[in-house]
Amino acid sequence: MLSQEPRYAIWAEHLTKVYGRGRTRVEALKGVDLAVRPRDLFAIMGPSGSGKTTLLKTLGLVTEPTEGRLLIDGDDIYGDERPDFARIRREKTGFIFQSPNLIPFLTAAENVLLPLSLIDVRGKRATERVAELLDYLEIAERAELYPNQLSGGEQQRVAIARALANNPKMILADEPTASLDTDRALRVMQLLRQISRESGTAVLVVTHDYRMIEEVDRVIQLVDGRIVDAKIVTPARSQEARLRQQDLRG
Amino acid sequence: MNLAIRDVRYYRFKFLSSTIGVSLLIMVVVAIGGIVRGVISDSSTIIENTGADLWVVQAYGAHPQGGTLGPFVEISRIPQSIYHAIEVMPGVAEASPLVMGWEHVERMPRQTPLMKFMYMNALINTATMVNPGWMAMPQAQRFIVIGYKPGKIGGPPVIVAGRGIEASHYEVVANDSADFHVGERLRLGNFDYTVVGLTKNMVGFTADPVIYATLLDAQNIIFQQDPNLLRNVQPAIAQDFKDLATTQAAQPRLLEPLGAKAAQAVENTLFINAIAVKLRPGASAKEVAARIMRWQHLAAYTAAEQVDIQLMGSNRLLLFQMALFRDILVLIAGVVIGLIIYTFTLDKLHEIAMLKLLGAPGRVIYEMILQEALFMGVVGTLVGSGLEALIEPYFPRRVIATYGDIGQMLVAMIVVATLACVLAVRRAMHVDPSSVLGAG
Repeated sequence: MLSQEPRYAIWAEHLTKVYGRGRTRVEALKGVDLAVRPRDLFAIMGPSGSGKTTLLKTLGLVTEPTEGRLLIDGDDIYGDERPDFARIRREKTGFIFQSPNLIPFLTAAENVLLPLSLIDVRGKRATERVAELLDYLEIAERAELYPNQLSGGEQQRVAIARALANNPKMILADEPTASLDTDRALRVMQLLRQISRESGTAVLVVTHDYRMIEEVDRVIQLVDGRIVDAKIVTPARSQEARLRQQDLRG
Repeated sequence: MNLAIRDVRYYRFKFLSSTIGVSLLIMVVVAIGGIVRGVISDSSTIIENTGADLWVVQAYGAHPQGGTLGPFVEISRIPQSIYHAIEVMPGVAEASPLVMGWEHVERMPRQTPLMKFMYMNALINTATMVNPGWMAMPQAQRFIVIGYKPGKIGGPPVIVAGRGIEASHYEVVANDSADFHVGERLRLGNFDYTVVGLTKNMVGFTADPVIYATLLDAQNIIFQQDPNLLRNVQPAIAQDFKDLATTQAAQPRLLEPLGAKAAQAVENTLFINAIAVKLRPGASAKEVAARIMRWQHLAAYTAAEQVDIQLMGSNRLLLFQMALFRDILVLIAGVVIGLIIYTFTLDKLHEIAMLKLLGAPGRVIYEMILQEALFMGVVGTLVGSGLEALIEPYFPRRVIATYGDIGQMLVAMIVVATLACVLAVRRAMHVDPSSVLGAG
């Protein structure tokens, strides 16, 4: 099994996260196992407090699990020789959030350039990469504007471009479509789908949004910190999801 | 990518307005430094411009060397003729007798709006401290009168308007800060004098402008008694002499003229306050001073010692106080920068968390904070120094801020700004990158 691990963008074994002690003890993750290959696009779904964000924080190396083993692109994160977490984040991870979280004092182009400058990609190479991404996301003409001069959709596209800038092995997306209308939300998911296929990046999307199910390869259902279901999405299932969404809308 | 430059560029109004506040504070710090340098310069300008190697003054005072601390901070009065004896001593190239004393002239200084403002401001500031009547003071101007022998050292170092003293009597050269014009006449002592020329930067340690006169004129101005007083006391002195002399007189017919002679002694003005001595090349100041003290029973100080005497004797505590106040202001500037940077950092905690989440090493974040603090410190110092240069001419006393002082201030502010951002860096380092991600 271990010899296979480098083939996985994410390999998690029995991830457990406990907050607090005694009466305030909360088990946010209870032995989560997860294997995500390059090009995989997974949705992590579940009710509030199910541990979705804790799982995302753990995979993003900003929260240390209480137990378990985690490999990111073959790096054993909590092994005997711990790698520099910040380095793993800047070299191998891209983040997308519900709100774009752009740096307000950087222009759109500079926001995309930021992850590149953090991994010492500079000069023409960096400029070309930024131009390519902004062009790919169809916001090239907005490159010199500051975030507050962009619409919400444009800001989200800049955030996606930023997440892609360093050619990450995985993208962790936290409710990326929550603040978008259905059309825009679908476009973002299609974009993530396209990115995962074209660049081979594994994408994990935390979402409540059943509208997005048909765009993902697999839906991981988390309840009370446990994976209760991890099904491959089929067209029929997508149809079912749509109906369920309509039911929910009433 | 330099984040500090981009942050400053984007929030330029916030940064510039804060930097202007810091600049104004630094302007005050530089100005205080300039005032200190001005006081020091005022204390040394006469001595330096006289060009004397030694200052010979009256002996037997409180000084450990056995001399008075004259002629500027203690009274020194020596017979004029003694300078001839000094001049012929080995190692002495020139000995110049000098007379100096404070005199005032009933004359209103020029009433510029700025001066009026300063008087009013001083009146308000001291309202509970002194009698408001002190505002009448500007109706008289105080000067240092220096008498010298034309052709010898001790006269005006430069003439900026008019000419130097040419006549033996009744001509003076005044410092330009006294606001005289060439040709103006003024009453000093018992006589009227004409201002024939102006010099510059010649003030005493009290910032009183200097008026140069010939030695004889200065002796008249400073030592001559009121003729009415002389008329009153001279008969009494003559009578005392006659009473004392009658019992032993061999020549009674001489009593009358000798009595008159004794009475005239009180009119004697042939005193000087100091002798400025220029040494021959290669002569040792220490040896010549020792010789003067040993054989002429006078005290002798080098020019540097004379400056020290003025600083120690008159303005020492003032300088201590100002230097301390300056340090406090530098400290306050540091605290202000620190608080501003800390507040700016608090405003940026979300962005800092985001940068950390993106994997930015700690160096990137503290460099941004440090560079912003340095920006504030360096730009604040440069702008503050520029503002100080603009206001310098309007101070009532000389304010001299040099490039060296500004450089010193720059170094101090770099240190202060670096220390000031420690708190902000510490706060930034404690930001949790996971705070960008929500709960769920």
